[in-house]
Amino acid sequence: MLTARRISQVLFLLLFLYLFFQAAFPYETLIPSDLFLRSSPLIAIATFLTTKRFIGTLVIAIIVLVLAIALGRYFCGWICPLGTTVDFGDWLSKNFRNKKSNPSRKLRTWKFSILIVVLVAALFSVQLVWFFDPIVLMTRTITTAIYPVFAFLTESTLNILLSVGIFQEPLFNLYDFLRETVLPIEPLYFQQGTLFAVILIGILLFGLVARRFWCRYLCPLGALFGFFSSFRLTRGITVAGDKCIDCGKCQRECKMDAINDDFRSHSRIECIECMSCITVCPTDAISYNLRFKFAPDRFDVSRRRFVYSSLGSILTLGLIKTGFHSVIKAGHVVRPAGALPESDFLDRCVRCQECVKICSSTGGCLQPAMLESGWEGIWSPIVNARHGYCEYNCNLCGEVCPTGAIHPLELEVKKKMRMGTAYFDKSRCIPWYRGEDCLVCEEHCPLPDKAIKFDIREARGPDGTTRIVKFPYVDEILCIGCGICATKCPVEGPGGIFLTNAMEQRWEENGMF
Amino acid sequence: MGVINRRKFLEIAGLAGVAMTGIGKIPEILGSEGNAAATMDLAVVHNSDPATLVRTAIDMLGGISKYVKKGNVVVVKPNIGWNRVPEQAATTNPEVVAEIVRLCKKAGASKVQIFDRTCNQAKICYLRSQIEKIASEAGADVSHIYQQKFQNVSIPKGKELKSWEFYRDAIKADVLINVPIAKHHSLSRVTLGLKNMMGILGGNRGKIHNHFDVKIVDINTVIKPQITILDAVRVLMDNGPQGGNLNDVKQMDTIVAGVDPVAVDAYGATLFGLIPGDLGFLKEAHSRGLGEINLDQLKIEKANLKA
Repeated sequence: MLTARRISQVLFLLLFLYLFFQAAFPYETLIPSDLFLRSSPLIAIATFLTTKRFIGTLVIAIIVLVLAIALGRYFCGWICPLGTTVDFGDWLSKNFRNKKSNPSRKLRTWKFSILIVVLVAALFSVQLVWFFDPIVLMTRTITTAIYPVFAFLTESTLNILLSVGIFQEPLFNLYDFLRETVLPIEPLYFQQGTLFAVILIGILLFGLVARRFWCRYLCPLGALFGFFSSFRLTRGITVAGDKCIDCGKCQRECKMDAINDDFRSHSRIECIECMSCITVCPTDAISYNLRFKFAPDRFDVSRRRFVYSSLGSILTLGLIKTGFHSVIKAGHVVRPAGALPESDFLDRCVRCQECVKICSSTGGCLQPAMLESGWEGIWSPIVNARHGYCEYNCNLCGEVCPTGAIHPLELEVKKKMRMGTAYFDKSRCIPWYRGEDCLVCEEHCPLPDKAIKFDIREARGPDGTTRIVKFPYVDEILCIGCGICATKCPVEGPGGIFLTNAMEQRWEENGMF
Repeated sequence: MGVINRRKFLEIAGLAGVAMTGIGKIPEILGSEGNAAATMDLAVVHNSDPATLVRTAIDMLGGISKYVKKGNVVVVKPNIGWNRVPEQAATTNPEVVAEIVRLCKKAGASKVQIFDRTCNQAKICYLRSQIEKIASEAGADVSHIYQQKFQNVSIPKGKELKSWEFYRDAIKADVLINVPIAKHHSLSRVTLGLKNMMGILGGNRGKIHNHFDVKIVDINTVIKPQITILDAVRVLMDNGPQGGNLNDVKQMDTIVAGVDPVAVDAYGATLFGLIPGDLGFLKEAHSRGLGEINLDQLKIEKANLKA
């Protein structure tokens, strides 16, 4: 059983990574790359609460959750990619762990407090699931930190080898192979990658205090599974009391500190079905079966804690909702094409960065926001048109969004969906301030009829001579705000043309599922 | 490593410079090789089959074996710049590219490389232009650009540009075949062979658009393709260089090929109803001795294979 669990963990982690790599142009995949995100019941419930409507694509998440009634926290022990990563981190740090530290079991209720905070906030239309959901956390960290660093280090190594000057041919062949498979064609740069990396590293460092620290004390998805498995209808881990010799090996082995001091019972809220206890038991007293048994575990979340958590949550969401950015015209944030109206968008967006990942394989305009649209919009995808542009022939961000915050648009619809409007900064644009031809923006404008037009006029140069110059301007009717003009503008520093969200269109839902 | 390459390149550049001093004498240089067919400057062929067009044009220029020797490394440089399908005529016709590859392979080329520094994301452009697929099937090595392969090259005859980053494989190739597609371009009015050479440049290429006419000629003083084959099978007449509107595409079923890249461009300009001398970059190229733009000075052979 233990081996089966480990194989399952490795396979699911590999599947997770495979799906991560699938989230790239041309995205012709049988399994949607956001499968894990769609399977997270926490995302499903929180998004259900924020939007007050059922989201069809999250059906699978409910099935995953209901299975807990039969299988307990199987998801945590067997599937969760963060759980597997934490297990790996715990294994690496096993010689450095403080063996004497024994965090109080009372701390286990923290995760329920976090769950309550997330769900109460969701009820008041503040999406907080994005900070805590382990699937989101993994997707986000891999997209913005682990993958770019992996790519950078791999390429740097290859470059060092190439600079030695021998074996160039096989090295370039290897390089080609890697670019066809795992490396991006162009280097990846994301804002805040470091922050996301630090958060993951922090979670792994907790392993020095106790194994599966995150899963024991903090994870709200684990709490949700724990809540359901407390009502489970099957036995799961079962101890034959007469065979038990009270050696306590199982309790010391248990990653979740789930085994009670009588060594014969355990907390079904905490057990993640990892089967380690079965393996260490010297007398084979522990077994696993799924025979019917209903004996709900007592919940040790007090009414007081529930009230305090809820109050804390309400206070926080009050602060978030009255943030400055909620009332000013957002002005400077441009959302991907197909994004719902801002408040609906923020209700749904779980900040998983799937859209950012797939965008980086095409135009590369999406970045996780910092505070550009306030605390409420933190880490949500925004367009940075100086760094990348929205590829005219691409609609992939909507395809991979697990919660429909970005509506999946038909390509022909998306080409007409207006993200904003570009404006010239005539004090920086070469023809306007220097009186010399350029027109790089016009060249790159992907619209068949060109949203950048130009006037041909005489201009006087600084030396007093006159010449004929093409002066570009934006056709406000045609511009769809893809931002490629701003990306490709050759002016260094702030460009001669910039993208704003003026005249943006959002995808209006028509009240269906 | 880099030093040797660069030095080697400078030799080539120096030789090219020497060759350039024989301004306007290109026909004579060609004639000296003793091939009757080579006394012709431009081959202009009409036919509805792109492969036939290529074969005929190259035969008229003396046959591929005149340019590609056994064991040569050949670089074929099409335009793969945009995320557009061939019908939109923003990228070189893949059938034209494939036929050139096949001819080079037949002539014994050890390797036929294809690459372009694209404007939209490279993977998408390679795929949508169909060049990656069709040229690979014809035997070409189609690869993406490596940042590491750009090297700074000095431009001794440059007026505006004194040096720029060039792609090593294009410089080192035994034979460079330029395969532009004829398109409208707002800045330079048309984009043809000389401008297609921007695809082997590194750096911030947007800067070349400012004083374009001079800078594009500067670039072309250090790199000269052995053959330029202008794809005018489908010509983008307006809203170039990307197009997108099929109404802007004109089916011309034509190829213009020649050894003198400037002469090819000069003829190409006439496809748009323009007078070569009216185009800044052609005038500049001619005045600096890169090639001929007076069509009546050129020996042009036309073949209309239309049934």
